[in-house]
Amino acid sequence: MSGTAPGIEKYAASSGSSETSDILDLKDDEGWEDAEPDQEDTQFISLLGDEVFTDIEAMLNHCKEKYEFDFLEIRQRLGLDFYGNIKLVNYIRSQVHSGQKVTSNISRNDFDDEKYLKPILEDDALLFSLDELPEVMEDVQSVDKGKGVDVESGALVARVSELEEELRKMQLQFDNYRATVSETLDERWNERSPSGPSKPDGEAKEEKRDDDTHYFSSYSYNDIHETMLKDTVRTDAYRDFIYNHKSLFAGKTVLDVGCGTGILSMFCAKAGAEKVIAVDNSAIIDKARENIFSNGFADKITCLRGKVEEVTLPVDKVDIIVSEWMGYCLLYEAMLDSVIWARDKYLKPDGLMVPSHMNMWVAPVADPDYIADHIAFWRDVYGFDMKAMQAGIHEDAQVLDMPNSTLCAEPFPFLQLSLHTTTVKDLVFKRKWQAKLKQDIDALDGFIIWFDSFFMPSRDDVVPEDARAEEWAKAEKMGIAFTTGPGGKVTHWKQGVMLIDNTKAIPTSRKEGEELSGELEYAVPEDNSRALNVGLTWIFGEEKDVSQTWRMR
Amino acid sequence: MADDKMKGMEHSEVHYFNSYNHHGIHEEMLKDEVRTRSYMNAIVQNKHLFKDKIVLDVGCGTSILSMFAVKAGAKHVIGVDMSTIIDKAREIVAVNGMSDKITLIQGKMEEVELPFPKVDIIISEWMGYFLLYESMLDTVLYARDKYLAPNGLIFPDKATIFMAGIEDGEYKDEKIGFWDNVYGFDYSPLKHTALTEPLVDTVEIKAVVTDPTAVLTLDLYTCTTADLAFSSPFVLDCRRDDFVHALIAWFDIDFTACHKPIRFSTGPHTKYTHWKQTVFYLREVLTVQQGEQIRGVLENKPNEKNKRDLDVKISYQLQTDDPTRQAEGSCEYKMC
Repeated sequence: MSGTAPGIEKYAASSGSSETSDILDLKDDEGWEDAEPDQEDTQFISLLGDEVFTDIEAMLNHCKEKYEFDFLEIRQRLGLDFYGNIKLVNYIRSQVHSGQKVTSNISRNDFDDEKYLKPILEDDALLFSLDELPEVMEDVQSVDKGKGVDVESGALVARVSELEEELRKMQLQFDNYRATVSETLDERWNERSPSGPSKPDGEAKEEKRDDDTHYFSSYSYNDIHETMLKDTVRTDAYRDFIYNHKSLFAGKTVLDVGCGTGILSMFCAKAGAEKVIAVDNSAIIDKARENIFSNGFADKITCLRGKVEEVTLPVDKVDIIVSEWMGYCLLYEAMLDSVIWARDKYLKPDGLMVPSHMNMWVAPVADPDYIADHIAFWRDVYGFDMKAMQAGIHEDAQVLDMPNSTLCAEPFPFLQLSLHTTTVKDLVFKRKWQAKLKQDIDALDGFIIWFDSFFMPSRDDVVPEDARAEEWAKAEKMGIAFTTGPGGKVTHWKQGVMLIDNTKAIPTSRKEGEELSGELEYAVPEDNSRALNVGLTWIFGEEKDVSQTWRMR
Repeated sequence: MADDKMKGMEHSEVHYFNSYNHHGIHEEMLKDEVRTRSYMNAIVQNKHLFKDKIVLDVGCGTSILSMFAVKAGAKHVIGVDMSTIIDKAREIVAVNGMSDKITLIQGKMEEVELPFPKVDIIISEWMGYFLLYESMLDTVLYARDKYLAPNGLIFPDKATIFMAGIEDGEYKDEKIGFWDNVYGFDYSPLKHTALTEPLVDTVEIKAVVTDPTAVLTLDLYTCTTADLAFSSPFVLDCRRDDFVHALIAWFDIDFTACHKPIRFSTGPHTKYTHWKQTVFYLREVLTVQQGEQIRGVLENKPNEKNKRDLDVKISYQLQTDDPTRQAEGSCEYKMC
């Protein structure tokens, strides 16, 4: 049966060798279609007959039409995990091989035997491509299965680890091959998936508004990734922490939530991680796979496309979660929810979160120049009054890089998130804050919000709630820290700017030394779970309090 | 126009403007002095053309052009825009005391009903990046065919796309070469994507190595939507010994109906506009000598799947007697 998948040997053998670069070398190629490595024709042998197909989809459709045997349906019905799928395939193959009939009424007991983990066909392309099939939906049966395992866990643990070792070898072999076939298959499945055969509840789901769709698609272009990678403050911090603490990563299993182009996963692999699981729900993961393959990490890093809450990880627990989840004003785009979910489900009790702490800052600003440029501008546009355009400026939070000189008071640390313990309910909050003007101002124009990130090598390390990242490095403290505030080099997060609506009344001028205080609230609007409302109240001395809410969307 | 324009911007910018500043795009366009002042001059300096005329403003945005037309003496102006910016335009028109002169209609040009069967003048700022990307030209042509009176005028009425070759080693390395080594990793899969995406950016005049050449001229009185898919040969004369890393494109806009013709350019030789220039990186570097020519063909057509995207193909050949420098090839780009 050798020769069914001639690609395997070539790609497996080429990992890390000079041939790897040859495959992807664009320079000498004519034409523009060579971004993807030349694909060998993969041959999928029918589950129930001798027919051979070049793609998995065609083969499964064939079985469905000719034999009324719906593999995807069975897989979904039984709620199979990765190993379950392998057993199912091998069971079907063994039955067919020995001339017995296979019907759609397969039950879990039929292929419970571990012997079905061994491939029946040598180089069975179907096995290599199993994780390219759509995710199995969570359902009652898989929950039951989970309970069952708990009850008998003592007896099974030893056997499971044996099987895992056996499968690890097999997976190493698959990973390289998968990288080469995944792009095309992914594309095909993605095109089909909304109405595809594997998602019977797809139609019902489409009725619901999905705030995530735009979110995930807006991250699939080069631009945003180039911006993030070229944000050296951000990328250097992750690199420095990971490379400076190789002992933390050596031999460990790491989960990268929202892996993007795969850069953090590759840092971890290079630092000695034994296994990295990179998860992203954007199409960029196809590029991540290619990047990981061309850098020779395909045996260390497994890429999974999907939401971290929905994909099936090849491991139960991880030692480290690394993620670059931070959004504008830290929490806009709410990816931290997923990181917290992943932490609670997958991180070992003594596991490490990278980064580990976030300190959030607010400061009042007075910036007559900015106001003139962007707000007063509308008063006279080529002789016309366009003040109507000013309205939204005060309703939405803006993302701008404000110079330090616009701060009219020292910033106030209004919240610390400790990533090892923070819960989702901590992400909506109301906090008190205060400030004292350090100069005379004509008007209080607004507030700016930013965050500092800290990367600590132990989960027991403490970061003071008023620690500032720009001073952290200077003081040669432990770990790594960076600021997105006006006191540091600009990052792609810039700062969140909330402008006060001073257009309705003449604003009051203020003197140095005047004190103001109030509350700061983060809330998620009901109509868009990915948006963020920032509310502020402020009181000067004994005056009446003022409040305003800004939206980030 | 606003929403259309946004689609033409870099995706990160779209995100930015959508998310944080609804009016950023209008602010940018109004603050583009070359653009806004050219329109203002073309309209306000030609009162003899606008006096007592019915004017249609296609994609009126904040209605600045409509208000210019009223200032120039128009009897009535109809502004049409799909975007909700028209609500702001209504407020602006009211506060400037022109509500009785300007009728604003939200909707698609093809679907709205105008209060006049014919108009004397069509004004529109329809241009997108590379002139045609996400442009509203097809809407303007529809309005022309349906509403423009015989002998009616169009402002502007002529658009020309130009090309030139540039030396851009440093920036090409930064934009394209970047993907060869990202923090020590090979990111070449993203390099390919980067090469197929034309870049909208400002090019310094000193980077231009060849004479510019016009590759497409559109006469708005006569052109049709079929003209927007074209294949144009071009010849670029090399002005000096240098390297050519990319070809660039820009456009000029003419208001020929004016008493004194008014023209503005979005090229590298003149003042900045928000259209900047469009840069098409070549995979290889051409080594050119003064007096040599780069001959080629520029092809452009709307993408079959998504008509808003453009498929651009540039084939080129360096005409040289030196066999060691001979080069030819073709590159495909997608503006999306």
